[in-house]
Amino acid sequence: MTTPHAPRPLVFEHVPLGRDASQSFTLEIPAHHTVAVLGDEDSGLGALGSYALGLDRPPAGRALTFDTDVAALPERERLAFRRRVGYLPAGEGLLQNLSLRDNIALPLRFGSGASPKEIDGRVNVMLAAVRLAGAGQLRPAQANEEERRRAALARAIAFDPSLLVLEQPFDGLTVRVASELLELARGGESAEGARRTIFITGQEIPPVLLRRVERVYRLTRAGALEPETV
Amino acid sequence: MRAATQLTAAGRAVAVRIGINQVRFTAVNAVGLVTLLSGIMSFLVISQATRELGRIGATDLIGTLIVVAIVRELGPLMTALVVAGRSGTAIAAELATNQVLGEVRALEGMGIDPKQYLVLPRFAGSLISMFTLLVVFDLVAVLAGYGAASLNGMAGGRYFDIVRASLTYKDVWLTVFKAFAFGFIVGVVPSYFGLTVRRAPTEIPIAASRAVVSAIVGIFLCSALFVALG
Repeated sequence: MTTPHAPRPLVFEHVPLGRDASQSFTLEIPAHHTVAVLGDEDSGLGALGSYALGLDRPPAGRALTFDTDVAALPERERLAFRRRVGYLPAGEGLLQNLSLRDNIALPLRFGSGASPKEIDGRVNVMLAAVRLAGAGQLRPAQANEEERRRAALARAIAFDPSLLVLEQPFDGLTVRVASELLELARGGESAEGARRTIFITGQEIPPVLLRRVERVYRLTRAGALEPETV
Repeated sequence: MRAATQLTAAGRAVAVRIGINQVRFTAVNAVGLVTLLSGIMSFLVISQATRELGRIGATDLIGTLIVVAIVRELGPLMTALVVAGRSGTAIAAELATNQVLGEVRALEGMGIDPKQYLVLPRFAGSLISMFTLLVVFDLVAVLAGYGAASLNGMAGGRYFDIVRASLTYKDVWLTVFKAFAFGFIVGVVPSYFGLTVRRAPTEIPIAASRAVVSAIVGIFLCSALFVALG
């Protein structure tokens, strides 16, 4: 008896990055692993999350999310597919005219068939989980960086996705808050590792968090990925 | 239209709320300006016309003047210019800001169609607002014309008889059709220019300016087309 092949959460195949890239790289993010790719701001690292979600296409090679080239899907399917992936973009991408609470509720309102009451209940749980229960009514401009990041993470995990893409998630946060957010992102532990697969991009990651990250790579200016010792 | 039919119930509620805010800003807040413009224009035109046409005994032509020149042609045109100037700028600047802040990309990353969340409510709001303001404009124009005619010696009953005799169903439907056509232009053109901005904040005023100029050109061309076809 053969077991069905489980789709790989995220794979980059022969993808070049950055203006000066002379090489491409191939990287697979295994299920239940937390993998970080670090690099300079001008390394083109910021594009990886966009490739994973099909927001952009790599100039060469391909990015496969759950074995699917998301960018190649028709628009409707592409939007629906992205709900399977949690996304925390660099700069949070919170809508400035909505409260933190409404920002968290937004994907549920547009992407689920749940009733307003069910969505409210879910958002209350999310707010409590990210410790924002008292700050839900604040607009992003009224909240501090930590509160905004907590709200952005809550929004990213609103659909309880099995894969999370986090761009610069820990910049400007204390080590304590960064650790807490990473634990929330991992979503608890399973027999295979973290409950969720997490792909992190950023310039640096606090050293104390590295024990919770299975693999760390550094992107060179030439566009190659070099493993870092964790 | 397709975007509207694919909304979830909770998403529809959010879109309706944004649409109501759009109508509040575009229509309700512009009633004073439209009333002022309509009243002054109609009063001046009918005052002059009553005097000049009275000299040659052709005051019956005032009805044609009110219906054809003001209600059918200048009313939709001036109302559209007011809406394009006030709300077209606001729509383009708002969507351009959403784009520059990375909010549009974040929406796409969450699987939310920016057309559903950002464009559709503003488009619907523009259609409703344009129609409502045009009704206000035409009503005020007819009443101000009555005031002007009365001050220049014409009996009130005669004025309304002349206007009623000049008004045909074709005038009414043409005016309604123009309202929706101009509302379409004001809803779509600024949205397009707002969303074509990339990442630089300096592009926001340029987008707003281009949006208003293009919308105004579109409105005039559309108006000329109506005259040519009508």
